[in-house]
Amino acid sequence: MSKPPPGNFTILYFASASSFTAKNVEFLPAPLPLSKLFATLEERYQGIKEAVLSSCLVTVNLAYVDVPGEDGDDGEEEGKEEEVVIKEGDEVAIIPPVSSG
Amino acid sequence: MTADTGAASAAPMKSNDRRLTYEEFERYSRQMIVPGMGKHGQLRLINSRILIIGAGGLGCPAAQYIAGAGVGTIGIVDGDTVEISNLHRQVGHATSRLGWKKVDSLIAHLKDINPLPNYIPHPFHLDPQNAADIITQYDLVMDCTDNPATRYLISDVCVLLRKPLVSAASVQKSGQLIVLNCPPAPQGLVDKKYPPCYRCCFKKPPPPSSMVSCGEAGIMGPVVGMMGVAQAGEAIKIIASALHLPPSSTNDLTAPIPERNLQQPTLLIYTYDLESAVGPYSFRALRMAGRRKNCFACGENSTLTLEGIKTGNPNYVTFCSPPTTDHALPPEDRITASKYHETRARGELPAHLLIDTREKEHFSFGAIDGAINVPFGRFLMNAAAIKRDGGPPDQILPAEAALGDDTPIFVVCRRGLDSQETVEKLKELGVDHGGKRKIMDIVGGMKAWKDEVDPTFPFV
Repeated sequence: MSKPPPGNFTILYFASASSFTAKNVEFLPAPLPLSKLFATLEERYQGIKEAVLSSCLVTVNLAYVDVPGEDGDDGEEEGKEEEVVIKEGDEVAIIPPVSSG
Repeated sequence: MTADTGAASAAPMKSNDRRLTYEEFERYSRQMIVPGMGKHGQLRLINSRILIIGAGGLGCPAAQYIAGAGVGTIGIVDGDTVEISNLHRQVGHATSRLGWKKVDSLIAHLKDINPLPNYIPHPFHLDPQNAADIITQYDLVMDCTDNPATRYLISDVCVLLRKPLVSAASVQKSGQLIVLNCPPAPQGLVDKKYPPCYRCCFKKPPPPSSMVSCGEAGIMGPVVGMMGVAQAGEAIKIIASALHLPPSSTNDLTAPIPERNLQQPTLLIYTYDLESAVGPYSFRALRMAGRRKNCFACGENSTLTLEGIKTGNPNYVTFCSPPTTDHALPPEDRITASKYHETRARGELPAHLLIDTREKEHFSFGAIDGAINVPFGRFLMNAAAIKRDGGPPDQILPAEAALGDDTPIFVVCRRGLDSQETVEKLKELGVDHGGKRKIMDIVGGMKAWKDEVDPTFPFV
């Protein structure tokens, strides 16, 4: 897969996120605060937040991240951590739970 | 010939340090000589008990390797029977065993691979009443099931009974694998270094609308097979290397877990693209976080108990399928498949547009004469785009259909739900021109068409 163009990050959509967006991958403008990620996607894909994102886990550069504001009680647990910002060249993945087998 | 030349001492033989039988030695030699395995790894497998929940696309390939590797006791849970649509991926069953209970069919196959293990059939589905009684009999659990409610149930019981859980899932063209709760730590003992449970990773089930089964969404055999095989690999590694146990010098289950066993929890994602010969297929290993402080099941203030689970608390079914909005359209907006067929055959229907919202693969097997394929997913996206950008609403209709403002539209889908949503969306966009144009749902979709009109219709 090609690298994102300058000023962009890569976002990968798995399973139902891929069906909903009809894409496996795309590039979005960076930097983007992680807390704005779901709103940005909702703007592009109306209804995705409720239908897909609400149950997804998110990784940035292959590591799990807590998306701020998506889990009220986690805010306290994590304390006042630096807000994560998605940077140019980062790889974000949207991973819905899959339950079939 | 002796399999173990070093076993001549007079020390009492513990079962985890006995001489292998000749057959065991011959049968397992190729895996025993792999660095790190040896006789002790093999004996741990022989002395272990693994539970495989689900004898389908994951459970079949997983069970073949678990049996082949010589795990001593193998339990299999499944309440289904073998159907012909299973066989492209469920490699433990066979055409000659159609109609058998899946557990019996799979065990017959496994005994042929390796007669030495003790196979225990559990020929029913796992439920909150029986889960703990079954799981408690085993050392490690493999989740090879096909629905979210059972996945949460298995994970919760494994947390409470402190069983390591190897969990895999797969649909269409992608799969996931994660080792959970390994090594198991007591419920409520929270420290980032302790391993997560299923709820720590996926707090909320997917909304029912996005939940698709292999029966509905489809599944490629090698994709689910790959995940089942990888799952067996993890289970064998955990048992053979005793990665799930506290240090052997103590039987105290609260003893600290050896550092080597506290590895980074990892979610493996496999994707596969039918449209590309050179990629992008990929394996991605994602670093997961440890146990969550506020996890409902394993976290600090968890109130989850085995007694609670048995008596319906939590309720897994309602957790995984919250009440959905009722899509039933008013009767004047609906027509049965047989009525549509009859009135059309008698020439009583005006010229109209018939939209079939199934995915194009389903449509490719056959459709009602004159139907135009507008896949539902694509339709929803276009509808959202028109709403957002304010384009002309009729743009949502297929370009090849030359329509008057009052040409009626009939919508059919697979089973009758997407078509109702399509009718609602079309009206919402104003495609009905304020009621001038009728937009009707064909009740029950192509399933009803097959049942009421054309029994030979190739419905998938």
